[in-house]
Amino acid sequence: MSRKQTPLRPYFEKMPAIGKELSEGEIRRSRENVDLVREQEEILAREADRVKNAGIPAKKIHERGGMTIYDRLDYLVDKGSWCPLHSLYNPRDNEEGCTGVVNGIGKIEGKWAVIIGFDNKVMAGAWIAGQAENILMVTDMAKRLNVPLVWLTNCSGVKLMEQETVYAGRRSSGAPFYRHADLNHLGIPILNGIYGTNPAGGGYQGISPTILLAHEGANIAVGGAGIVGGMNPKGHIDAEAARALIEGTRNFKAKDPGRVETHFDQTAYFREVHDTEQGVLDGIKDYMRMMPAYEPTMFRVAAPAPPRFPAEDLNMILPANQKRPYDAVQILARLTDNSEFMEYRPDYGREVFAGIAKIDGFPVAFIGNRQGVFPGYPEYANGAYPAVGGKHYRQGLIKQGEFVTLCGRDNLPIVWLQDTTGIDVGDLAEEAELLALGQSLVYSIEQTELSMMCVVLRKGTAAAHYIMCGPQANNNNAFTLGTPLTEIYVMHGETAAAASYARRLVKEDEAGNDLTPVLDKMNQMIQDYQDKSRPAYCAKTGFVDEIVSLPDLRRYIQAFTGANYQNPRSITPVHQMLLPRIIRG
Amino acid sequence: MAELTSPIAGKVWKIMVAVGDKVEMDDELIILEALKMETPVYSEESGTVSAIMIKEGDPINEGDILISIG
Repeated sequence: MSRKQTPLRPYFEKMPAIGKELSEGEIRRSRENVDLVREQEEILAREADRVKNAGIPAKKIHERGGMTIYDRLDYLVDKGSWCPLHSLYNPRDNEEGCTGVVNGIGKIEGKWAVIIGFDNKVMAGAWIAGQAENILMVTDMAKRLNVPLVWLTNCSGVKLMEQETVYAGRRSSGAPFYRHADLNHLGIPILNGIYGTNPAGGGYQGISPTILLAHEGANIAVGGAGIVGGMNPKGHIDAEAARALIEGTRNFKAKDPGRVETHFDQTAYFREVHDTEQGVLDGIKDYMRMMPAYEPTMFRVAAPAPPRFPAEDLNMILPANQKRPYDAVQILARLTDNSEFMEYRPDYGREVFAGIAKIDGFPVAFIGNRQGVFPGYPEYANGAYPAVGGKHYRQGLIKQGEFVTLCGRDNLPIVWLQDTTGIDVGDLAEEAELLALGQSLVYSIEQTELSMMCVVLRKGTAAAHYIMCGPQANNNNAFTLGTPLTEIYVMHGETAAAASYARRLVKEDEAGNDLTPVLDKMNQMIQDYQDKSRPAYCAKTGFVDEIVSLPDLRRYIQAFTGANYQNPRSITPVHQMLLPRIIRG
Repeated sequence: MAELTSPIAGKVWKIMVAVGDKVEMDDELIILEALKMETPVYSEESGTVSAIMIKEGDPINEGDILISIG
């Protein structure tokens, strides 16, 4: 009789259970907290709606018989798998209210892909400010996760009135073409569904991917046919030149170059041409079925299982009041399979937790901050002060560095759950080597080839935001999420105001002057910090890749995990893993 | 009679109840402040507040008795 099992069953099948049900009292006390979470969610939902309605109304596209980018994604992506990213990203505050591309991670025909398309409602998919950076974040994600990149191209080229914001520079709109070449070089396929008119930049956007599938009305070309005037020798437009331009435009009959007649019938750049928009998307689905992907069974260590506690509890557990502590393990228990967690060195570096959990049956590492006060710790303070959760101390930094290094050895993707106020400061902290240990953690992360994702649950502050694999970890961080309670700043506004104006206050006080003007400036600074650290601001400026509701976090972690295990570049045989053995001892 | 003690050293920031108030288990009774963090102290049983041993602003040590519930 044949028998089958998952690997290292004694370690992974049943791991230590964590978390507990919320008490009636906890539920009662959290009502106001849930309201505060909802308040932020409503602000974010309004912003998301505004972006979705940017440009011309969807109705106009539908009346022409076309599909919007949102219709195309809806048709293309497997139901329930879409995890949007960069939805509110608009760092240059464009008048369009967005960067003109829509992207995220999703499954197509059961396989994970990073998916991006031009918003054809916004200037027919023009290059606008901030768009190149958005695209680069997406191409980097495909590279990090080693999954196909799927483009829905519909790009009219540079918004000519603002060419200086997109055309030139190291990370300008030309850089994605090099990224596409890089992905191809690395063996990461790029599928391109092409719609509409794609001249110049749009042409390179069309030609640079791996597989090109076109709609019958699409074209890609070095330049468009619409530039009817040449050089104007006068250096300005006068009435005579305007008249010539009017006549030229009226009589202009040329078709756009690079049509299907050319690039399917003659050059054969296009693999397929479809007479319907859906046909192009069906073609992408066909190619997605050909993409390399292991059966999940290859890497699963147990059957997938949901957490034992409801995800909605998260809105009650994570306090909106940033000064309130909470039990971080209660958060973790609502994210991991069957609410299980195999913790690494729980008695050492108590301010952080690190360990292995399962997500959809795959082994995944989690690292996060604990909250509260830790009397008798850190050991180097000798009782001079107690440790406070969210801060990092010597043992915690050493533990994280060790754990990350071992995860690298065992090929465990890492999910970081940040809620951090910084690293301990002062002479004792310096003597305890915290500066070097912080950078040592950065070094440990960079030394691995691992994919990591970061969730800034609440606070992302000071250098601790960096060392816990924040988005600055360009080579490892696949994406960073915020929540409706996220605040990201170098330090709290009150601390910053005190640091900036304390000496000025002393000076004014000694001179016997009214302190009100200085106090006004300090309070203005505190308000400014508040305004520029809230979730919608973090999303708009790119501090995070997306703000996600707390109950939705697991879905994104599932996407991250599934993408990581779809076609990994490096494999550690589960039975040769070291970390589970080290944890058990 | 149950006595609530302080879990940490710090300062009493807010007292949410008065002597004679009826409280339920898990109600928030006192908020302590230490290291810029608020540490709430919850009732461990239902009953009536019979005595409050501290006032707002008092410094406290770990293990100090804060409140009695009868």
